[in-house]
Amino acid sequence: MKQFVFKRTLSGIPTLFGMTLIGFLIIGLTPGDPIEMELRRLGVSFTAEQVEALRVEYGLDKPLIQRYFIWLLDLFRLDLGTSIASGRPVLELFKEHLPITATLSVLAFVSSLALSLVLGTVTAVSQRTSVSTSLYVLTMFLVSVPSFWLALFLLAVFALGLGWFNLLQFGNAQDLILPVITLTLGNAAVMSRLVRERIIAVMSEDYIRLAITKGLSRRAILGRHVFKSILPPLITNWAISFGSLLGGSVIIENIFNLPGLGQLALQAIAERDFAILQAYLLFMGLVFFLANFAADLTNHWLMPQLKEDDHGVR
Amino acid sequence: MNKFKQLLGVSGVLAASLPALISGVPAAQAEDIQQLRIAVKKDRYSVDPKKFNFTTRRPAGQIVETAVKPDENFIPQGVLFETWDYKDGIYSIKLREGIKFHDGQTFDAKAAIDALKLYDQGRSDFLQIDQESFDQTGPYTFTFKSEINSSLVIENMTHRGASLFSINGERAENPIGTGPYLLDSYKPKQSISMKRNADYWGDAPKVENITYHFIADDQVRLLALQNNEVDIVAEVTPQMLLSLPKDGSVVVHESRPIRYVALLTNLHGKAPYDTLKDKRVREALAYAINREQLAQVLFNGKGVVAKGILPDWMFGLGDKHVDGFDYNTQKAEALLDEAGWPKGSDGMRSKDGKPLKLRLVAAYPNVSSVRPMPELLEQMFRGIGIDIELVQVDDSGVYDDTYLATGEADLYMEFASNNNADPTYLLYNLFHSKTPWGYQYTAPGGKLDTILDNARQAQSREEVIELVREAHREIVQTKLAAIPILMVPNFNLSRPGLNIPMFEHADWIDYGQVTQTK
Repeated sequence: MKQFVFKRTLSGIPTLFGMTLIGFLIIGLTPGDPIEMELRRLGVSFTAEQVEALRVEYGLDKPLIQRYFIWLLDLFRLDLGTSIASGRPVLELFKEHLPITATLSVLAFVSSLALSLVLGTVTAVSQRTSVSTSLYVLTMFLVSVPSFWLALFLLAVFALGLGWFNLLQFGNAQDLILPVITLTLGNAAVMSRLVRERIIAVMSEDYIRLAITKGLSRRAILGRHVFKSILPPLITNWAISFGSLLGGSVIIENIFNLPGLGQLALQAIAERDFAILQAYLLFMGLVFFLANFAADLTNHWLMPQLKEDDHGVR
Repeated sequence: MNKFKQLLGVSGVLAASLPALISGVPAAQAEDIQQLRIAVKKDRYSVDPKKFNFTTRRPAGQIVETAVKPDENFIPQGVLFETWDYKDGIYSIKLREGIKFHDGQTFDAKAAIDALKLYDQGRSDFLQIDQESFDQTGPYTFTFKSEINSSLVIENMTHRGASLFSINGERAENPIGTGPYLLDSYKPKQSISMKRNADYWGDAPKVENITYHFIADDQVRLLALQNNEVDIVAEVTPQMLLSLPKDGSVVVHESRPIRYVALLTNLHGKAPYDTLKDKRVREALAYAINREQLAQVLFNGKGVVAKGILPDWMFGLGDKHVDGFDYNTQKAEALLDEAGWPKGSDGMRSKDGKPLKLRLVAAYPNVSSVRPMPELLEQMFRGIGIDIELVQVDDSGVYDDTYLATGEADLYMEFASNNNADPTYLLYNLFHSKTPWGYQYTAPGGKLDTILDNARQAQSREEVIELVREAHREIVQTKLAAIPILMVPNFNLSRPGLNIPMFEHADWIDYGQVTQTK
């Protein structure tokens, strides 16, 4: 186990470095000058000399690769840089915005996990019944509709129509209910399809048919054999889902007006706020890396008989 | 108790209505508001000294005030400055007396000089005052010079970003100004609340408390109004106007038309983006636009046909210096024939086997602000045999670097306005060949540069205005660097019964003076 953890950690380091470099290059080569964009937004007159002076002040006059290594050195000192648009340290902004996104994502992840297991199992074990068909159609619908549409629909029905919720956020736990439901429904629908497919595949295996002919109850077969067998691919999928939820909350935060990381990143893209974008990319890379790492560890712990290659470690 | 309250309420209403009943005046009267909630798109509140300048635009503009503000013609009108004079390169200022900062400090010449000196620390010192030139000549009088010998410093002081702070206190946490409101609470990206300044020196505001809610999504801002969670929506897109409920529950407020929709033309492009170097093709485009039809279809029918990109009422410009272009497809077709672009059997034009195809980029400020205008124009231009490649970009960085800076388009559709009291501001920044905004390909250069340079150096306002008229005509009539299409108002939305003192510059709508009709 220790060797596995060591190998996995070692393999992650070049991945993270590579990711930061590619991210830096993509952001740096994206069209749009942050200084000119900010000054023009302010609606004030400025000269080319003023723009150049600001570019020097923010280090934007240096070659891209040099800027990358400066950023990397600062990173080792836990300095993520300063936002051009707000003038505030990026770390401070992350501390402000991360709790909302993390809470939203964790709640949506846990609820979509539970819902997907129920939906996937019901639609798999009771195929060709009206309940199963209805649920299958429902999941197909939820997979197909864009999250912004679902969010606006829920707002129109539950806030505007029924008056159960406010559109404006006041920092209460209640503010998170509709955003969590929106994220949960879309995510659970996608996850439930995988649960369903895996259960159907395992149920057709010879050893399951043997268990059925031996007279084992359906509950026992599902609990003892099917779930144990489908867990490893599901855990890997859940890890990716969690990362996607963190990254995918951008639109939901925008519609529900939640001041989370997604909204911060969206504004940073529009303003070419490089320091925020670079930190956001690094954060998302770390999340995906850690989520996958946790999934591999869990699989290794659950099924130590699986070879390392089965976890993707080479 | 409740019945007692109801009785009191009824008596109050009757008592309030009595004078109106006696005098025969209609019962509808304006009354003050306790709490006004306004939905705006972005959180622009920042007084961070590390930022480019002390941006105190809406909503914090209620807390600190500027020296001057734009009047109804965008000509500076005194606020903290009572009078000013510009002679031989020296500005002489007399302050309004009897004004105090929120902390009780008197706003006198020393405080004003201290406040103006703060701007030299800003990273975009757009006032460009010579810091060594300040000279206090009396308790409420002082003089200063412009670093660049400009006669337009006072005009630039109408920008909310030039609001005057006390040097005492920490600006971000507790901004000390002279304005009608005090900062009550600020939740970044969520809301900012202000309460009435009981000791305000000017006309007392009619609203006790104002809260601005920052709501990024356009449709959610509209839903919040319909759900009675806000009273006013201050940033309104054409899409919101199209999706308004028909039951009268939402009222549209509008200013005079100020925002222009225009096509900027590429005058210096390299092939294949060099077609518009021929003025006849630019004129043909101008004649091919059915502006009346566009005005009826878009912006709730509130747009008007544009002859220029500056409204006639602004700076007292008038509109006699520009003629505009009527809708005349016959003339447009004749111009294209004359330019050597005959029509083929398919109705499309070509010259020496090269089709007449123009790239039209719609991007500024964003595609949703102008849609479906690009598609409608495409149809109109096709009608005279011009093929249009429509490019719609929703990112100003991509627009600037990929299309504007490279000149890789023929036409640039823009929906913008001059929000500056400096009459040269828009024309210089967009059309001078030294434009800092990256419009080198659409700037005619030559004579226009000279006119604009002279305007910026002119030492009297009359001279500036005359030169601006000349520059404006050069741009929209003689050179057709811009083909004007529509002028559009600023819009606000509210529930019925609210009276909003609309103003063309959104930063200067005085929400403290909003009243409720009984």
